[in-house]
Amino acid sequence: MLQSRIWRPRAEPFAVSRRQAIVGLAAAVAAPWTISPSSAATGSVTFGLTPLILDSDIKLLSLTQTYLANRLDRPVQLVKRRTYQEITAMLLSGQLDAAWICDDPYVQHQDQFALLAVPVYHGDPLYQTYVIVNEASKAQSFDDIRGTVHAFSDPDSTSGYLVTRYLLAIRHTTPAEFFRDSFFTYEHRNVVRAVAAGLAQSGSIDGYVWDVMSEREPELTSKTRVIYRSERLGFPPIVGLEATRDAALSKALSAAFIAMPSEPLGREILGILELDGFTHATPDLYHATLEKWLVVKAQV
Amino acid sequence: MARWAKFMAWPLAWKVPLLVAGLMVGIAAMISQVVLSRLASDQESNLRLLTNAYLDGLSAAVLQPVLRADVWETFDALDRARSHYSGVDTRYVLVELPDGTVLAASDPARFPVQSDVPSEFKQHFSSIDDLVIDSSAGRAWLSRTLQTEGFSVGRILSEIDISELLRVRREVFFTLILVNGALTVAFALIGYLALKRMLQPLGVLTKYVERVREGRAEPIPEPKRRRISREFAQLFDRFNAMARALNERESLASHLAEQEKYAVLGKLASGMAHEVNNPLGGLFNALDTLRRHGGDSNVRESTLDLLKRGLTHIRNVVRSTLVIYRREESKKSVGAADIDDLRLLIEPEAVRKNLKLEWINDVHGRSPVSAGSVRQATLNLLLNACAASPARGVVQLRATSDAGSLNISVGDEGPGMPNALIEYLLREAPVAMPADDGLGLWIVRRLVADQGGSIRVVREGNFNTIVQATWPYRAEYQSKSDEEPAAAEEAVHV
Repeated sequence: MLQSRIWRPRAEPFAVSRRQAIVGLAAAVAAPWTISPSSAATGSVTFGLTPLILDSDIKLLSLTQTYLANRLDRPVQLVKRRTYQEITAMLLSGQLDAAWICDDPYVQHQDQFALLAVPVYHGDPLYQTYVIVNEASKAQSFDDIRGTVHAFSDPDSTSGYLVTRYLLAIRHTTPAEFFRDSFFTYEHRNVVRAVAAGLAQSGSIDGYVWDVMSEREPELTSKTRVIYRSERLGFPPIVGLEATRDAALSKALSAAFIAMPSEPLGREILGILELDGFTHATPDLYHATLEKWLVVKAQV
Repeated sequence: MARWAKFMAWPLAWKVPLLVAGLMVGIAAMISQVVLSRLASDQESNLRLLTNAYLDGLSAAVLQPVLRADVWETFDALDRARSHYSGVDTRYVLVELPDGTVLAASDPARFPVQSDVPSEFKQHFSSIDDLVIDSSAGRAWLSRTLQTEGFSVGRILSEIDISELLRVRREVFFTLILVNGALTVAFALIGYLALKRMLQPLGVLTKYVERVREGRAEPIPEPKRRRISREFAQLFDRFNAMARALNERESLASHLAEQEKYAVLGKLASGMAHEVNNPLGGLFNALDTLRRHGGDSNVRESTLDLLKRGLTHIRNVVRSTLVIYRREESKKSVGAADIDDLRLLIEPEAVRKNLKLEWINDVHGRSPVSAGSVRQATLNLLLNACAASPARGVVQLRATSDAGSLNISVGDEGPGMPNALIEYLLREAPVAMPADDGLGLWIVRRLVADQGGSIRVVREGNFNTIVQATWPYRAEYQSKSDEEPAAAEEAVHV
């Protein structure tokens, strides 16, 4: 599944801006020799994806690449990286034409990103964050997981880090104080694996991922139990750079995702992702996420 | 020793296959031991290679995460290794940090993050990197120190299940037992059959030797000599030569016996002639007396009595001789009178040698044994006793009958029967006839043996030799009664 959840540095909430500046400067300096994502010279489109969760990744990538290439009538290069941070940096530095990122990086760089499309899940462009525990755990609420070893997904993931970090912030505590220990698995599916195996007693995970996994890998999710569900937040969006919002490629990419339900290949992709389709959205959709990020930022 | 002697007495057809089976079992045990030892050595060697490869791969995968103390990456590497190294059946694998705590384990519930490695698990591992095998538990423990730039940053500890290897070892063991057992049985059976076939001529030889014991010395016929080994051919040749020699000896003995019979007959005829001749003079005198003084009734009566006594004596002698030596055409049983008749025949010889006859006949009724055999044998024994006794000696006959046999003992006061003759009389197997027998004992022995009887020789009181002959009752003599003496009497009158 295309699961874009982008990173946010834990200890340095504003480092991205600095990094972005550095990367942007470097890109500008090296522009003549750097492969530009939207380079007309290469003629290919580069599209960034954050770590995917499903076993059918390869098939999904292949279908997506084919679909986008057909729609755009141009070669499409899909770019995957281990962390959200890498994809965000690449996008900000102009090495990608567009990317499917997490809503956390989006709200951090809202002024630099343009929303191209937002997935529709169960009728709305919304999803939830889950906090899960091992099935053997006696915890019933978020406060019961104090003192456990906690598994986060990615430091730039809303559901895999930000929401839990927010819940701790409003309790005036931090992960280091609240949990006995914590670690990042850099993939939502790995959070389920870690909690199911007992490596961690609790974990933060994308509710959409857990729901899909509970259908496809019930033997794994059945070893975990959801003890907390957040309010509904804006679904991780497909974004491009604000500077290229009105470019033909941006519009074509947006149209391609919006039109996905109307084409067989698109429907196959949506079937794998278990999404209804894609829609247009405004930044207001991510207001709740922004609020949480601001709370956490204020604590740090 | 007794068991060994018993074993040595077993037939070759059993002993050799058993010996082959025993050797096979020994060889199979040795081979099995060598194979299993080699298998165990190879399995251990392969296990070391496999676990080394496993630890090499795992070390490379977890070294960087361990350096970063990355719990998830370490766990992920350990977890994935379990499926990637299918040849190593890992029960658990964990990374122990230098402070003795668990960084990550494939089984986090058992070895939680940051917990101390339990001592009961730790004790299985060698202090140096090595493979520790416990075959009885079906487990092996391996450890590998994670080093970078000469510093230890942790240790991989793993317990693996080697029961599959032990199962293979057990299967090989049972296969060896099964195959070797089957081969042993097969070879023993083949050995038994082959030896039985090879020893077949020995069976033929045994059969013909047995016939010799029964008195039939027959050469082994030519068809039975086909397809036999040279050793048995030589043995058969020698046996046939022996059988021919025995037959010739038997023939000669029969011929001599016939001659002896005629000699005895002549002797008896002479005795009988003497017995008849003695009263004849008196009878002629009686006839003269009758011719001259027949008118006198007293003289006539006394003379006729004398004639009658003389004729009766002659009749008895003739009848006894006829009864003894006539051909026994019917199955006649023995009564007391048949034995008493013998006294008439032996008395002349006893008188001639001035011997005293003690005649004890306790036979009652009829005994179902061959009358001819009893009479001829007893007469021969009496003649021998008379011959052996010194002048004025006593010769005793004692005849008794019981529920199953007729027993006749003849004793004499002679010097005692020589041992060679005693042995000749007593041995069941055919033995050479003593040179000084004169065929009397040969006849006795044969007559008694033909009727299934037995002979004993004892010494009692003044009787230095008592020959006791026993005839068991036989069914074929049960129905015969006393008609034979009547017939004999008729024969005398004729």
